This record gives sequence, C-alpha cells and structure tokens, in this order.
Amino acid sequence: MTAGVSKARVLTVHTLNPRRAGHPWSARADKLQSITGLMLGGFLLLHMHFESSILLGKEVFYQVVQLLEGGMFSSTGHGFPWVTKLFSVLMLAVVCLHAALALRRFPTQLGQWRQLRAHLGSIAHKDTHAWFWQLITGFVLFFLVPVHLFTMILNPEIGPHLSAERVYHDNAWLLYGLLLPAVVVHAMIGLYRVAVKWGWVQQRAPLRKLIKALIIYLLLLGSASLLAYMVIGQGLSLPVTPFVPGGG
Amino acid sequence: MSGRILTFNIFRYDPQEPGDKPKMVQYQLAETSGMTVFIALNRLRQEQDPSLQFDFVCRAGICGSCAMVINGFPTLACRTLTAKYPKGEITLMPLPGFELIGDLSVNTGKFMRELAERLQLWLHPKGGDMDIHRLEDPMAPEEAAKLYELERCVECGVCVSACATKQMRDTFVGAVGMMKIARFELDSRDGRSADDFYHVIGNQDGVFGCMTLLGCQDNCPKDLPHMQQIAYLRRKMASTLL
Repeated sequence: MTAGVSKARVLTVHTLNPRRAGHPWSARADKLQSITGLMLGGFLLLHMHFESSILLGKEVFYQVVQLLEGGMFSSTGHGFPWVTKLFSVLMLAVVCLHAALALRRFPTQLGQWRQLRAHLGSIAHKDTHAWFWQLITGFVLFFLVPVHLFTMILNPEIGPHLSAERVYHDNAWLLYGLLLPAVVVHAMIGLYRVAVKWGWVQQRAPLRKLIKALIIYLLLLGSASLLAYMVIGQGLSLPVTPFVPGGG
Repeated sequence: MSGRILTFNIFRYDPQEPGDKPKMVQYQLAETSGMTVFIALNRLRQEQDPSLQFDFVCRAGICGSCAMVINGFPTLACRTLTAKYPKGEITLMPLPGFELIGDLSVNTGKFMRELAERLQLWLHPKGGDMDIHRLEDPMAPEEAAKLYELERCVECGVCVSACATKQMRDTFVGAVGMMKIARFELDSRDGRSADDFYHVIGNQDGVFGCMTLLGCQDNCPKDLPHMQQIAYLRRKMASTLL
C-alpha cells in the first residue's frame, strides 16, 4: 500500500525556542552559591567570636548567650534555647542549599579527579592549590556540619557549664577539633574567592595576606576557647548544674 | 650568570614513532649572557640532539608558539631568561590539555580553530553587510584602544593549560574564549546582540562554569586582564539573565 505520500496532516505546530540566551539557572546557581557562602562565612566570623567569649570568663559568656537567645524579651532575663534550635534549622537549610550548589564544582568522575591531581602536580599555582583545599574541606564539612547542627537542634542548651559538659563529658571536642580547621580554611578561602570572583577586589596580594592572617587568628581563637571548655568541663562534677551568674 | 652549566630535564615522546614511551631526558649546556629557554633549546637541538621537537616562530613573545611548562609555570620559552633559575635546573614539559605533536610541541592551532568555530570568533558585520568595497565607519580612538587591549592575545594556550577547570571539563570555554567574546562584544562594528554572546558563554561552559582559580590571570604572558574581564562578564550576565 504505497500509494504515494499524501499531504501531511498536521494538527498544531508548537515552536520550540532554540535560541534561549544563556541559562538563567547557571547564573542563579552561581549567584546563590556566592550569596549562601557569604552568609555562612559571615555567620562563622560572628559565631566564633561569640563562643570564644568564654575566654573572657564564664560571666561574659553567660551574658552573651542570654543576649543572643533573646533574654531581653523574657521577664526573667533568661534567653530561650528554642532560638538556638530555630537558628540551627535555618543554618542547616542554608548549608544544604550551599552544598547542593557547590556540588557543581566537584570532580564527580574519576577521570576528572585524575586530571585535577595531574594538574596540581605539574602546574605550580597557589590559588588552584587553595581551591583544592577548599574542595577537600568542603567534602569533610558535608559530614561534620550536620552533626554539629543536629546536636544544637536536639540539645540547644548553651551555657558556660552546659557547653563545657558537651565538650568534655559528651566528647564533642573530637567533633570540634575536626570541624574547626575544616570550616575555617574552607570559609576564609571561600570569602577570598567570592571577592575576586565578582570583581569587588582588584588587588589580590593584600587580600591574600588578610585571609591568611584571619585563618591563623581564627584557628588560635577556636583552639583557645576549645581548651577553655575542656578545662571548665574537667572541673565539673556530674550531673552538671547550670552556671548561675554572680554565684559562679 | 654566564659560565654556569645548566641542566635541562626535558619531556620526550614522539607519538608518531611506534613503541616510543614518554620519558624525561637530561641535557647540559653552558649558559651564555641573556640566554632564554628558547635560545637554549635551539642550541640543544643544533649541538646535541637534532630530534628534539619544540615550536617557535618569532622569538619575541608575539607569535605565542613556544609556550611550554617551565619549572611548573606555563609560559613562553622566548620570554624566560635562564638567569631566573639560581639552581640552574630547568624542567620542561609540553602544555597539558592540547594534542601532543611530539616532545614540547603541542597542537594549539587545532584547539584555537575549533574554539573560534564553536564561538564564532570573527567579526559579524551589522546587518550582514558583506560588501568588502564599502568603507568602514570610523571608530572612536577610545574604542579602538579598548579593542586593542583585548586583541593582544597571542593564542599561546597558556591560560588553557593553567586552568584546572578547563583540564577537568573539556567543554569549558576557558579564558581565551571569554577574552575573545568580550573583544567582539565591545566592537561597535559587530552586529551580534548581547543575547547572542550570552547564548554561548552565559552557562556552565562559560562564565558560570569558571571557578575563579585564576591560573589564566597569573600565567598569561601578555598580562591580559582575565580576572577583571571574566568578573565583568559574570556580573553583566548575571544581571541580564536574572
């Protein structure tokens, strides 16, 4: 039955749009990765200083916690631990988004990893090496950040004694000991990259120096406060009673 | 620094020769004053090993042919003084990421041609005006100067070899592609719209795939402003596409 091809019987024609200018989602992803990175990096800078207020004494840390937990809104002056809980949930969401977007950058195939290793071995370039460490620490953070955040969601009580108990008696020092170098290196190199990526900074040498100084400073600050919690924790007897201001 | 004996460790491999395997071969040569790696290579080929393969044309940093990896830095051999290396040890590798012709010689030409065809890196006159007898409209000197700045690219391939992103992802356009797109976007004679350019580099293979490792910026032998240029394109496209 090949009686010639009859006229094409077309019902409707739906024109596809082959010349879409660029990919808006590529742009969105790049922007969102930088924005979430800035949020997390900025948060880290604040967070490290707040938790390190323990170095100025239990009283100071206690007051910082009450302030951040919204103590001024309660009649007793005590903060609400659920503020920490809520904030941890929000941070987890930001971390998830940042991680999902950053996945685009990972060498997901063995061949890509091989190329990267070969490149690092043959080309001497500091910024590329810095990115490699950002990649490695980023991978490590996939596993460490959720553990930290889940602890704060399930157990949001913070205080000079309660935090020291967590660090010393509940062995969270192990988590923090790993988390501190990973997050500091990742975040500081990340902030540097965001600044040069969008062209906000043209002079890289001074920025590099600042970032290096910040890494050393934050590592020292974090280590010192971790040590302070260890010392306080060691001096506590179980069950731990929360710190009472004025009476110590 | 003349009078020293320089030691060269040179990557040798000829894919055309059956059974040949990649190897590092050591040569020694007396340094002369003002010696560049390019001069040293010519001496080695003339005096010690006529089979040594490497590319050169202009010996003055204009043709971009003699790019290779010198002690871990991709750069032009003709612009690298041997006096730069106090130990007198120089390791030479071919540029990674390109088809190897032999030893230090790679096929950057093939790569650049494919890139130009893919991104259409030539002038598309406004209104498709192809009349070669018509006089071109005059161009403002400021615009010409801007174009000239980007036109200084010699297509040596250093930015491609220095870019880990490009090495990991073959379809990535790389700094040379983006620089040339920026060049035609600036050109008032070019009829392509911003959308046309975004179509080719407003995606993961273009500016949004760049991870800002800045190997291009730090190694470009012509000191082209890759970092600013890519950041500019990224900002512009992010605001246009969103």
